[in-house]
Amino acid sequence: MSFLEVFQYTRQESVIHNLDPRAKLVISICLAGISLMFTDIIPMVLMICFLIPLIAAAKSLKRWATSMRGLLPLLLFIIVFNTLLSTTEYPFSHSIGLSLRLVALMTSFSLFFLTVHPDELSQALIQMGIRFEFAFAMSMAMRYVPTLGQEAYAIMDAQRARGVELDKGNMLKRIRNIVPIIVPLIIVSIRRALSIAESMESRGFGASEKRTYMETLSFRKRDWGVVFISLLGLVILIHFRFFFSLPEWVSWGLPF
Amino acid sequence: MPLVEFVDFSFKYLGSDNLALRKIDLRIDEGEYIVITGPSGCGKTTLCRAINGLVPQFHRGYIAGHVYVDGHDTRESRVAELARVAGLMFQNPANQLVTLNVAKEIAFGPENLGVEPDKIRARVEELIETLHLEHLREKHPHEMSGGQQQMVAMAATLALEPKILVADEPTSNLDPKSAESLLAILSDLNRDGMTLVLVEHRLDLVSRNATRLVLMDKGSIVADGPPRKVLSLPICEEIGIGIPKATQVYKHLKRNGCVLSRVPLTGEELAISVEEACNK
Ligand SMILES: Nc1ncnc2c1ncn2[C@@H]1O[C@H](COP(=O)(O)OP(=O)(O)OP(=O)(O)O)[C@@H](O)[C@H]1O
Ligand SMILES: [Mg+2]
Repeated sequence: MSFLEVFQYTRQESVIHNLDPRAKLVISICLAGISLMFTDIIPMVLMICFLIPLIAAAKSLKRWATSMRGLLPLLLFIIVFNTLLSTTEYPFSHSIGLSLRLVALMTSFSLFFLTVHPDELSQALIQMGIRFEFAFAMSMAMRYVPTLGQEAYAIMDAQRARGVELDKGNMLKRIRNIVPIIVPLIIVSIRRALSIAESMESRGFGASEKRTYMETLSFRKRDWGVVFISLLGLVILIHFRFFFSLPEWVSWGLPF
Repeated sequence: MPLVEFVDFSFKYLGSDNLALRKIDLRIDEGEYIVITGPSGCGKTTLCRAINGLVPQFHRGYIAGHVYVDGHDTRESRVAELARVAGLMFQNPANQLVTLNVAKEIAFGPENLGVEPDKIRARVEELIETLHLEHLREKHPHEMSGGQQQMVAMAATLALEPKILVADEPTSNLDPKSAESLLAILSDLNRDGMTLVLVEHRLDLVSRNATRLVLMDKGSIVADGPPRKVLSLPICEEIGIGIPKATQVYKHLKRNGCVLSRVPLTGEELAISVEEACNK
């Protein structure tokens, strides 16, 4: 699953990291929108050529490259199956276009997820009017995922030590083997949740109607600039795509 | 006015058959350092919860009597309000860290209480400096050791600027070295004026600095007084708490007719007392 790495925040000092998360959300959505408007190979290649410098500006090119290498088997799968099953005139060319589109889409969204810390994300949501409790629940999920993972491993070890054969048997047996993992995991998690709730309560969670925030996000001039440029780009491309007949070379494809 | 006062307080958890606390009368004054100890299940955690209102506000059940914290009756005050007076540190540090970095964690309490951002930032920086947490600043709680987690939890509790710090077995998940340094910081805090209630089994580490030792058994307080006095009582052996080695020697000598001038808590103190007795 290494291709998912591209959606994981990495701490860096870069122009992109320093933008307001809300501005980055707008860029990402615009870029993804543009990627969805086209299917041909040439526009997708152009799109990816436009995205790569952005990723480079976020100092995450290496991570992006690793992820894309991880994505390769999936892309090959798409190409093979789509070529065999597609009903379009030039199935292979069409499949290449589709898989390039997937790369462009992933890259567009990764620009957001690579550079927005989960805490920033929840702060952005709060400032967009989402209730603190919900936004906080999301960042707490991030906080406790590794803990839960660790617990799952501990339980698996304990069950193995007691003779439960987790990795043996046919499919059905293996599915049934999940039960002795899941049940204790749920119990342990509920217990942990209570203990977390207790400690949050004693630190004043939900105390005041007017909760304050140590850091608030501020939308600066450059954030407005980025939003403006993104929207402008989107509008121009929508205009060209739907109200003009595009030049011949745009829809160039392989003849098979 | 005492900071905390238990008046004939009893409590039974919902769905439980026995009282977790029985007729507790306890008075805690400002500046005290109280160590609470007793066998497992005797009600120490419940007592801590009663000091900041988690009992009876969060854990419901049968109640008799009252607990007053800084003049507020805990039956009528919300835990969040009591959080300004009594800060609670729990046994499991991982469950107390709910955010993704140290500064956020320390800020969490004051933010909840609506403290102004500038003040919160100042407090965060101060606590990071005084508790030496600088190197942990950007770490995910998951990447910290138990001792580091507990230090961050302590900073987060102190950020509420409580008048009394209640720590429920804060060292039980720590290695001996981190436990010792945590206890040293707690006793420094007390020296600077913080009222401290500490549940702890390692009496050899805490008895010297504590002003009072409270022994509990089956939900009741069975002894309460200066550590040297309480440790010399026979009840310690009856309920089976681990008293310091030096104190054991003292008691042994006493049973055999040799009474030292004072109850020793450490080997060093024991040596001095024995020397005195020999010279006489
Ligand atoms: N949440 C709960 N619900 C029901 N009963 C509880 C709960 N917590 C504790 N008890 C019961 O209350 C009694 C006192 O428990 P408490 O946790 O206060 O003891 P303790 O002295 O802290 O023990 P330990 O040394 O094991 O931490 C025990 O009999 C326990 O089973
Ligand atoms: Mg306990």
